[in-house]
Amino acid sequence: MYQRKYEVFFIVDPDLPDSDLKSLETRLNEIVSREGGIVLSYNSWGKKKLAYPVKKRSRGHYFLMEFAGGQSIPGELERNLKIDERVLKFITVKLDNRYEPGKDESKQAPPQASYDEATTTEKPSEMTAQEEQESE
Amino acid sequence: MAITKTTLRKKRRFFKHRKACRFCTDSSLKIDYKDANLLQHFLTERGKIVPRRITGNCAKHQRELTVAIKRARQMALLPYTTVTPI
Repeated sequence: MYQRKYEVFFIVDPDLPDSDLKSLETRLNEIVSREGGIVLSYNSWGKKKLAYPVKKRSRGHYFLMEFAGGQSIPGELERNLKIDERVLKFITVKLDNRYEPGKDESKQAPPQASYDEATTTEKPSEMTAQEEQESE
Repeated sequence: MAITKTTLRKKRRFFKHRKACRFCTDSSLKIDYKDANLLQHFLTERGKIVPRRITGNCAKHQRELTVAIKRARQMALLPYTTVTPI
């Protein structure tokens, strides 16, 4: 049985502390490896303004995870993401029917920071102001 | 009067020109639902998908594009509508 290549793109609550983001990452990694898959990449796409409010939040922290494995993984992963209250939204896409470890070209880095800034400067909300204070 | 009308119509037909599909001419352009900046070009101000008779896309790429836009909407990268709900 060939392994398939998938990606999960999900939005996390933007106000979460780093420790929660770490625990979420390790949990998702565990689920994939428990079902016999391999996590290929796990990247943060940064905080962005949402096109419409989700669960009464206007901003979200986007993450992209790529993995390869059997057909049972997406279902199990989505079940866990649904339960998790920290995750606002998610989408799973099958990238390839057959995953061959040798030939896969390395994915390019997450999008440039300028895009993130551009979307936030459009409508400076209270939340962005708070973050700026924190960073200073 | 009638003569001027017909000449106008003829002129308009003359100016019709075929646009090339952006994705066929530039093979480095990939349709990806995560690339909201690119998909934004194919939306109207109200957030509707622009028909291919206006954008000039080929049928194959328009199909891929609509799927990508709908996925991007699911992930709140693009709006379903710009008329904000209460």
